[in-house]
Amino acid sequence: MPRLPNTSPQTLSVLELLLESPRSWHYGYALSQLTGLQSGTLYPILLRLADQGWLETRWAEPEQPGRPPRHTYRLTGEGAKAARTKLAEAAPLRKIRRLASVPGSC
Amino acid sequence: MQMRGFLGRLADDLARQLLSWLHRRVEPGSREWLDALTAESECADDGWQRLRWALGGVPLVWTINKRRQMNEPARGTMRALIAPGVANIVAIAGWHAVTIQAIYVATRFFRCHLFFGNQPGGCQEHPFVFASIAIGGGVLGMIIALALRARFAAYWWAVIAGFNTVGSVWYLRSGIVDLPRYGATQSAMLMAATFGVVLAAIVRETPWTETDHGPVHHVGDSAWAPASLLSRHRITAHVIAGTISFAMADSLIRMRDRHLLADNVNHYAVLGSAMFAAILAGLIGRHACRVPVARAAHVDPAITLRTEQKRR
Repeated sequence: MPRLPNTSPQTLSVLELLLESPRSWHYGYALSQLTGLQSGTLYPILLRLADQGWLETRWAEPEQPGRPPRHTYRLTGEGAKAARTKLAEAAPLRKIRRLASVPGSC
Repeated sequence: MQMRGFLGRLADDLARQLLSWLHRRVEPGSREWLDALTAESECADDGWQRLRWALGGVPLVWTINKRRQMNEPARGTMRALIAPGVANIVAIAGWHAVTIQAIYVATRFFRCHLFFGNQPGGCQEHPFVFASIAIGGGVLGMIIALALRARFAAYWWAVIAGFNTVGSVWYLRSGIVDLPRYGATQSAMLMAATFGVVLAAIVRETPWTETDHGPVHHVGDSAWAPASLLSRHRITAHVIAGTISFAMADSLIRMRDRHLLADNVNHYAVLGSAMFAAILAGLIGRHACRVPVARAAHVDPAITLRTEQKRR
């Protein structure tokens, strides 16, 4: 059975992080560090979310001279609402997954 | 410690090369996300981290290109295939029809015959006329193909122009009456010219390499990545392509007919065909890269300057 869109654990962890401060802009590198996702997993997720209108993107001026402009992300109103729904739907499953990943549990 | 530093720098260099290579695999209009990933790679603390980050570009590029293919309207794709196809057919078949007619008119005018080799009453008795038609036909064919943006036809005519030019010089240099191994040498020259053009085209035709030829470094349509070695040293690249083509042709000839190359003039003719054809193909590549450079005029000069500094 095909998976429903935006329900993978990786996507949900990105959505959860973005929802923590939905009005602030997030950098890709920081998102990768905080979610533990590799760039090759994170960026296709961000791209898909932006395509679906869940994510707003913006090019920000670099903080240090000589660096390229950085791409930043935040949830749109629609995206935040949808993310909350998805996270709520996936909460029981995520709880089980979290318990399964605790060392010592079997 | 020194070894670790060296390996770190190597990883850093590999990461930048990988990102540069990936940028060339994505169409200029679809580079936003890869630019984003590239910009974030600057946050990596060391070379290994940057390399790990850059490797993530591979699945990203795959996603971008797949998405682009899926979003491309079918009619647009068909039109995009048909228009260049028609232009190539017109540039090859149409211009061949003109050059063949020109040769026919010349043979009628001079009352001579086109023989494969030297025989009395043959058109070799008017070498300058027929060489001019052959060379002019090839060069004009290339110009017409470029004007029609028919890239394949341009390469086609580059083979013919290279072959005809070197062939005419070889013909005059060898002497009109006593040509050693006329047909075999001509075949060898044609083969060398074809190898030369194909190899030079491979060097030049890496998809979407245009950012390598101008400072097209701005947000959403650019790469903060160094240009590839071959694009920075184009002449060297084409000389290398020509040399490899000559070596390939030479090896094949030696396997088949060693005596052909015993004659220095024949050997030079094969070398000349490979080199000249590769350089002609290089000119086609350069012509095609003018558009993005012109577009670079709109780029923020500060960003361009920073990019240039970074590149150096």
